[in-house]
Amino acid sequence: MATINATVTINSDISSYPISISKTMAMTKSANPSVGLDETTGLRTKKFTTTTAAVIVEHDELTDDKAHKVYIRNASTQRANFFYVAYNASAAAAGTAETIGKLYGGDWMLMPYDGNVNITVASSTATETQYLEYMVFADGIVAAKG
Amino acid sequence: MATTTARVSISSPDLMPGSALSINPPGVQLTKAGVTTGLTQMETGVRSIVTGTEYRLGPLATEMLSDAHDIASYLYLCNTTTEDTTYYIDWGIHETMIGKLYAGDWMFIPWNASDDTAEIEIEPQGGTNTIEYAFFNSDFILTTAA
Repeated sequence: MATINATVTINSDISSYPISISKTMAMTKSANPSVGLDETTGLRTKKFTTTTAAVIVEHDELTDDKAHKVYIRNASTQRANFFYVAYNASAAAAGTAETIGKLYGGDWMLMPYDGNVNITVASSTATETQYLEYMVFADGIVAAKG
Repeated sequence: MATTTARVSISSPDLMPGSALSINPPGVQLTKAGVTTGLTQMETGVRSIVTGTEYRLGPLATEMLSDAHDIASYLYLCNTTTEDTTYYIDWGIHETMIGKLYAGDWMFIPWNASDDTAEIEIEPQGGTNTIEYAFFNSDFILTTAA
């Protein structure tokens, strides 16, 4: 088994009493929470020059109904641009019931993912290039068939 | 202007043998949709929630000001359950469950409340789960008194 640790740190002075959240988790398997995840699809960087929606995580590569984790980051710097991120069977991220959110330039997300449906994204702009970084920490990968 | 910064760090010495993993991007300042103005409202809480019931976490789209399609909301959610590491929370958008947040796990996502059927839902599994959460936004409104 592998050891994968993820730490989030959030600081905010919205309130008169500033908050500071700091939490670390070890990514573990659903069948045995004391055993660490030990598979990944690898860290990927993808350039987007159109608004056409695209699948970035294909669920049929992963074991269904497990404790996968998905990390996604908009590596661009423009806060005016974003990616729709959706949990969607087909490649249509915007305006669907399963749209999770908008990932603006510099934003990141880390979420648990059951592997039952694709993860799709769509860039908000075709005039400015955007880059997306993403990685799946898998609780089971289905070997590709020949 | 308030400043809210979110940072993530993911590391593993042995997930990919021979290539230690270290994802440590710059922290991002969470801002209003498409601009550089910081978010101004937040909502935090700690709840114990019993198994077998779906709960809505956070506001509906109509409980936020502005054009709900264009808002930028962020959710931090942590399952702080300690009774049993096999307990988890199904989370999703409306009726579509997306992943399992196990005891000790956290998640951080952007959230696009496009309409009242894009609410965040959680359903505890295994037993009573305890969560802590924080929404960051600029558009929460209070319910009008009866």
